[in-house]
Amino acid sequence: MYRRVTNFALTCAMVLALGAVTAFAATKTTTIRITGLKCGNCSSSVAKVLKATAGVESAEVNSEKGEAVITYDDEKVTEAKLREVINSTGFKVAE
Amino acid sequence: MIRTILLTVALALFSAQIFGQEKKAPPLTLKSIEGKTVRLSDYRGKVVLINFWATWCPPCGAEIPDLIRLQKEYGKEGLQIIGITYPPEELARVREFTRDLRVNYPVALGTRETREGFSSDQTLPLTVIIDREGTIRGAIAGILLPEEFNEQIKPLLQPQQIEGEKKDVQKSN
Repeated sequence: MYRRVTNFALTCAMVLALGAVTAFAATKTTTIRITGLKCGNCSSSVAKVLKATAGVESAEVNSEKGEAVITYDDEKVTEAKLREVINSTGFKVAE
Repeated sequence: MIRTILLTVALALFSAQIFGQEKKAPPLTLKSIEGKTVRLSDYRGKVVLINFWATWCPPCGAEIPDLIRLQKEYGKEGLQIIGITYPPEELARVREFTRDLRVNYPVALGTRETREGFSSDQTLPLTVIIDREGTIRGAIAGILLPEEFNEQIKPLLQPQQIEGEKKDVQKSN
């Protein structure tokens, strides 16, 4: 009986650990440089549109640094797609 | 007695402002870039979106094709978009910009005060939503997202509310 419980607990722990590893592997953070982010009143649209993109968990835009820091699920969205989304806001990703 | 009445009215108005109830859109009369008079009161009965924008604001330009599409698609249902620029702007530049994009709604040059009458939000673009009765229903800061349009603006375009009320009246008669 004791052995059975131990085996069950071990199996559960392994499943949970595997799940956690998979989850962390899917989450990535990237910093994308953006040109023309001088208009502070306009730059909030970039974060807004990024946050509305499926797979994006968080997006912070710093107009002074001219960059966006984005945390996303790389199984749902690619970095190329994020660049496309930024370009769709009228600003341009710096190559 | 008169003092008490005035005080009561003032308090009522003050509390309405505090709780954000029923804020009527201020009167607005501007000259469009085509030289025509744009009066907000002329659009009573329509759902008006006042889009504050500027030629120097990249997201504003990026948003305009969507606004053109919305005006085309929902104009028959009572949607009326009015574009008002935020300074500094030059008439010639605005004309060129809107002509290139083929803007299908009136555009006028505004001032900081024009926008302050509708919202204290400094974000550009900024879209103020005014319902058919002329009440400000909110403002959308930044590019107008499809889900924002569907959730906040589309329901105001639905004629069911009025028809539903009419049916209720008919039933009660």
